[in-house]
Amino acid sequence: MDWSFGLTMTAAGMAVTFITLYLLTLLIRLLNKLFPFKNEEEKKSKT
Amino acid sequence: MDVFIDALNSLGQGFLNLTWQSGIMISIGCLLLYLGIGRKIEPLLLIPIGFGVVLGNLPLANLAAQDEGGVINLLYNTGILTEIFPVLLFVGLGAMIDFGPLLANPIVLIFGAAGQFGIFITLLLALGLGFAKQEAVSIAVIGACDGPTAIYVASKFARDLLPAVSIAAYSYMALVPIIQPPIMRAMTTKKERAILMPPGEKHVSQRVKILFPIIAGILTILIAPMGAPLMGMLMLGNLLKESGVVSRLVDVSENTIANTVTLLLGLCIGASMLGGNFLKWDTILVFLLGFIAIFMDTVTGMLLGKLIKVISKGKINPLLGAAGTSAFPMSARVVQKEGQKANPRSFLLWHAIGANAGGQIGSVMAASVMLAVMSGLGIGPLGG
Repeated sequence: MDWSFGLTMTAAGMAVTFITLYLLTLLIRLLNKLFPFKNEEEKKSKT
Repeated sequence: MDVFIDALNSLGQGFLNLTWQSGIMISIGCLLLYLGIGRKIEPLLLIPIGFGVVLGNLPLANLAAQDEGGVINLLYNTGILTEIFPVLLFVGLGAMIDFGPLLANPIVLIFGAAGQFGIFITLLLALGLGFAKQEAVSIAVIGACDGPTAIYVASKFARDLLPAVSIAAYSYMALVPIIQPPIMRAMTTKKERAILMPPGEKHVSQRVKILFPIIAGILTILIAPMGAPLMGMLMLGNLLKESGVVSRLVDVSENTIANTVTLLLGLCIGASMLGGNFLKWDTILVFLLGFIAIFMDTVTGMLLGKLIKVISKGKINPLLGAAGTSAFPMSARVVQKEGQKANPRSFLLWHAIGANAGGQIGSVMAASVMLAVMSGLGIGPLGG
């Protein structure tokens, strides 16, 4: 069995998946801060 | 008279060329048809696959995916070997998926990562059992709980295993409501399962819904470019839906494209399941490893669920961890059902859909990383 291949794939796969999804959670938080729902509602009610 | 007998002889050639392997495969095809029609288990897939198995194994019909020049061979070469079918399915999937619950409660996205751990445990097991690296990667990706991703990876690296991998992936996706509940109950106390989470749906700005598929698509593809066809099409489908200005394209993506591709994909996969390449020990191992992959996805998802329950001081129900697989929306429904069994006032569906959407992104990301590592190590298709 090629342990180095298996362990490299496991370490890289889990680490990159976790980090990417964590970055996406930060991205979503940022987007929600920049464009909160309330602002849109207020705009609609003004128009 | 001789001419008449010769003509009759050629008519009977099909019967004369039947082998025991093709007989067994035709029976398997009929069993899949029964499960699809009689038991209504994934009928959209099992009917085309089952009929494809029957057609592909009829001798001299020239309808096996491997029969050069045949109609199904043409579809197989054009749609599966080029990876067009699974990629197109992702446009439909993106148009169907609602990232709203995920955008409103982004922490559940992390469950989508934990729900992929089974992939890598299975990879190590497959390597340990002596499978080649390309085969091990193709088998492991069954743990993505995502048929198109499994087909995409297997068609890239181990085409001989493609029929077994795709059937296993779709079968286990259908069996999620049976596989997951016992694990969920074994890993949690009734008190944990009964944790109430606020049922109210938080609203998300439409701008966020539109920007998310664009920015997330760019970011994830920059991180793992090898998975660009999958992630790109998933995000395209979702952008079409959220843009709100191309309802005709959304309709085509989630209905016409998804249904047509599912039909042709199922037919081609079924017609590639020939006795010679399917009735072997490796197929049983693929199914066994696929089960382990999905089992471990649920276990690791639940472990993270329990950890987040502790970190959140009991505010997050650990059952959500089981929705981190990308069996969308089956896992979310299972979480809702188990939560309500423990506490009739519980309503976890909205949160679970968010975790499940996270699982969809997580599975594509995990597959993309695997493709990137394979490419980085210079490992190409088996026999290629």
